Amino acid sequence: MKKAWRKRMLLGASLLLAVGGLAGCTGGADGNKNAEGAAADGPTPISIWASLNTNVSITLKNMSEITAIKEWEKKTNIKTEFQHPAVGAETEQFNVMLASNKLPDVMFVYGDYSKLYTDGSIIKLNDLIDQYAPNLKKILDENPEMAKQLKADNGDIYAIPHLRLGKYKTFGGMFIRQDWLDELKLEQPETIAEWETVLKAFKEKKGVTAPLLYGAPPKLTTMGPAAANFLEAYGITNTIFLKDGKVVFGPVEPEFKEFLTTFHRWYQEGLIDPDFATNDQKTFDAKILSGQAGAFFTYIGGGIGRYLPALQEKEPEANLTAVQFPIVNKGDEPMFTGRSWEWSGAGATITKSNKHPEETVKALDYFFSEEGHMLKNFGVEGVTYTMKDGYPTYTDEILKNPDGLSVVQAMAKHFIANYPFVGEDDDRYNEQYYQYQQQKDAVTLFSKYSDNTLKVGLPPVSLTTEESSEYSKIMSDITTYRDEMFIKFVIGAEPLENFDKFTAQIGKFNLKRAIEIQQAAVDRYNAR
Amino acid sequence: MAFPVVLYFLVFKYLPMYGAVIAFKEYTVGKGIWGSEWVGLQHFRDFFQSYYFWRVLKNTLILSFYQLLFGFPAPILLALLLNELRHEMFKRTVQTVSYIPHFISLVVICGMVVDFSSRDGLFNSIITFFGGESSALLSEPGNFRTIYTASSIWQELGFSTIIYLAALSGINPELYDASMVDGASRLRRVWHITLPGIIPMIVILLILRIGGLMEIGFEKVILLYNPNVYDTADVISTFVYRKGISESAEFSYTTAVGLFQSLVNFILLIGANRLSKAVSDNKLF
Repeated sequence: MKKAWRKRMLLGASLLLAVGGLAGCTGGADGNKNAEGAAADGPTPISIWASLNTNVSITLKNMSEITAIKEWEKKTNIKTEFQHPAVGAETEQFNVMLASNKLPDVMFVYGDYSKLYTDGSIIKLNDLIDQYAPNLKKILDENPEMAKQLKADNGDIYAIPHLRLGKYKTFGGMFIRQDWLDELKLEQPETIAEWETVLKAFKEKKGVTAPLLYGAPPKLTTMGPAAANFLEAYGITNTIFLKDGKVVFGPVEPEFKEFLTTFHRWYQEGLIDPDFATNDQKTFDAKILSGQAGAFFTYIGGGIGRYLPALQEKEPEANLTAVQFPIVNKGDEPMFTGRSWEWSGAGATITKSNKHPEETVKALDYFFSEEGHMLKNFGVEGVTYTMKDGYPTYTDEILKNPDGLSVVQAMAKHFIANYPFVGEDDDRYNEQYYQYQQQKDAVTLFSKYSDNTLKVGLPPVSLTTEESSEYSKIMSDITTYRDEMFIKFVIGAEPLENFDKFTAQIGKFNLKRAIEIQQAAVDRYNAR
Repeated sequence: MAFPVVLYFLVFKYLPMYGAVIAFKEYTVGKGIWGSEWVGLQHFRDFFQSYYFWRVLKNTLILSFYQLLFGFPAPILLALLLNELRHEMFKRTVQTVSYIPHFISLVVICGMVVDFSSRDGLFNSIITFFGGESSALLSEPGNFRTIYTASSIWQELGFSTIIYLAALSGINPELYDASMVDGASRLRRVWHITLPGIIPMIVILLILRIGGLMEIGFEKVILLYNPNVYDTADVISTFVYRKGISESAEFSYTTAVGLFQSLVNFILLIGANRLSKAVSDNKLF
């Protein structure tokens, strides 16, 4: 009798402990739910997973503190709780979060929405948008082309989108030391050959170690934008793209070898930064600011807005201007300009853990209303902008911040126009955001050929779960191999004669299947 | 009294192990661990046939082997040398200085190593001083293993010495006195008394080291490597990290790879223990 009792006690205790241990893992989520239940009358609590923009992180710890978010909460009767992954570890933390299945109410993601949906992490939004998002619905109804991008092949919508309307759709490109060009009496380079002349002049006459600085922060993919800009001069890009409507993988095309030959020569002649494979953001910045770099890829806003004043502080005569995307032959038009589609691919997804999908969609839809649009792009009237002849003009709080914040930082503190979020971009924002003449010129220059990109760029296709997992498996091998071999070819560790072996190996990774998958997806997209 | 201990291991060590079954499944988050479909040994086959299989296996083994070959004897040597020192102050200073790096966080250590190896860093200053040419040391595949092993030794040398010094202090001083009477030289005394005195300790630590042979310091490789040196630096655990959570999210595949790594570790551990039992009387279990 006594023994049996003891046994039961032990069993009970162990169960309690085990349950306690397990519950410990999900404690955070449970805590939320309880709070939600209690706050039935007050604002709806919504937890949001989003990466913290670096410009925000300078002044604030959490996006809930942004002026526009506070205003948004008031207008839509919600209470946000932002969860931010560590900077630089966004993908890792996102994957870990998915695997653990502990999801916030809303996730801001780039990516494989269909997969997230079939995996059961997020929910479909069609009905919710129809019922609770009148503003977004209106925009989609009026812009079928945009709706086509947003909808999956079967017509599902998985995200409340960040939309890019207006004319500014190219945000970065090559910048060059204009003061050196002037000093050496050189024209802005257009063709690859002209680039070579210019870089050589920088090397020989200015004695710099990195005439073409490159290695692309923040992830420093060596095949990143700077290399891609030169590769694209040859009419291909570093990944899949459309060639006459057919899906093609750039690195196995013969043009890739031509590009490698050029880059290898440039490396040998010291025209490329010798440390291109090991640069990080810190060394990258240092090379620009210490005048070791002649040309590099960066973004018009965050890049030039930062480099130009810092550089001129040290060297008052220094000047950075945008250069048109390189081409091979005079008269060619650049095809790849980094132009984004109307739907940038970013948006807010509602997870299956969300207890208040209606309220959430309603709240997010606010940003598509006239009032919400102004709040997102310009902040609070009277505080961050004033209407002058119908044009929202930023106040000194933004343009001449009393706390010494730069324009970008001040904007980031008050509203969320300058990085992916829900809502639409506003040109009037960019017109004032780009403060320097160099930036204003850059945006016109980079936008000049941006329509070409729509012909070669892959549309926002969607893959099925099986396709997506197969595709990512194949491509993750291929891109690793491509990046490594790219470095080897450039520095000469692998002779260019082995280019055929390189393409053969990529074939062995089953590139054919990957292309098939994408081709089918493109066909489905065209049939939408 | 054993109950809480058993429970601890059950809940925190054995229960999570069931997650490893996803190595044999096509895991998708929505279906959960049990709901996902079985695929048998598919992921293992994929890994063995992968282009990267031999490279990551080779790198893992070579890096571990270097660690063992150079890293393992280093503290023994230092302990023997320190043991011969008669100047107490000097001995203590050497000891303190040599184990300070152990207390510096790995992230900082790696940051220092990266800085030292950069084009205008410490190592290059030394190289150019002696007439060499400066280069980005960490971007050449040929340098990675040296830098990795040397920095590990530098970091752990002093601290690992402590355990041997403790063992040394247990040796009966009368043995030394007796041998001195017999006219044994210093070297002879080290060879015949000191070294045999710490052999059991050496063997046990060696077995433990071999068991963890494949568990090459994953954080350290991550902090030091770049795509340039994947050739010599990419090891199983970094491969798992990249494929599993950093670049793509192939949970099942990488679990299989991780499981494979543990299996090899297990075999090595048992093997080392057997071997040691056969050649000497020392064994772990």
